[in-house]
Amino acid sequence: MTMKVDMLELSERSARFVLSNTTPAFANSIRRAMLADVPTFAIDDLNIYNNTSVLYDEQLGLRLALIPIATENIDDYTTQDECTCEEGCPSCEVSITLSAEGPKMVYSGDLISSDPSIQPADTNIPIIELKEDQRVVLEALAHKGLGKDNAKWQAGVACGYKNLPLIRVNNCDKCGLCVSECPKGIIYLDEEGAKVSEENLVDCILCKLCEEACEIDAISVKEDESSFLFTVESDGSYSSQQLIINAGNTIKTKATEMQEILNNL
Amino acid sequence: MIPIRCFTCGKVIANQWHEYKNRVEEGENSGAVLDDLGIKRYCCRRMFLTHVELVDTLAPYQ
Repeated sequence: MTMKVDMLELSERSARFVLSNTTPAFANSIRRAMLADVPTFAIDDLNIYNNTSVLYDEQLGLRLALIPIATENIDDYTTQDECTCEEGCPSCEVSITLSAEGPKMVYSGDLISSDPSIQPADTNIPIIELKEDQRVVLEALAHKGLGKDNAKWQAGVACGYKNLPLIRVNNCDKCGLCVSECPKGIIYLDEEGAKVSEENLVDCILCKLCEEACEIDAISVKEDESSFLFTVESDGSYSSQQLIINAGNTIKTKATEMQEILNNL
Repeated sequence: MIPIRCFTCGKVIANQWHEYKNRVEEGENSGAVLDDLGIKRYCCRRMFLTHVELVDTLAPYQ
């Protein structure tokens, strides 16, 4: 059976889709790839020339690192470990400068990147509030990295899945107990008995309260072990669509590498 | 300063803080403001509800 993808919602930063005719192992590998194996840029080194703000240098560094950075052509860059240079070069490092004097609120939009194709994904993230005579002058170095090394390189946010439910109703006596018990209110009664509409099926949380409420065991709720409802959010470094595609590509690359190793045995 | 991201899920939340603060100060219900801003998960919601702004308190002691 071929794998099937049904898009339920797709926006710039979030997506919901059903992946069916597949195995839990594959669904989990997609989820893990989105969280840990899609490369992004993040600030991970700082040269601070002046910092008289209320935050320590380290705190300022932590805040800068967590700002998602969007890149147009991530494949044109390499990670610092894989790069042939020793001290950072244009293909593995991007310099971002920040220079601000109070009183003002410094936003991520005030960061000036040396490469116009690499910019903070949001320009309205507050970094630090500077009071009168307070100053911040620094150079930040952004590198390409993977979410499994540090959460600042994580492109996917709250990526997860659940199994779709299989709801069966047999010999229903239309007592309505399951209807009032359902916390999501997705069960309704018609002439034949209790029903759940097709579009509401994804709202089922598999709590099985309807099963317990039914006195004659007419309703049964099971997990469909080959269908998965994914919820995906991107932090802004990619669109949610690109994030899912990149996760798939990462798995493909890894599988190819594995095959090569096995072939060479 | 409000943390850039939610501690638990990693969603960027700092860019919503100003609007949240201003609207709550104007008397709006904080839960309703969070719903309006699209902060759905309770991990992100507690970041807003429990945050205490300390920049103004610390500023005189530099």
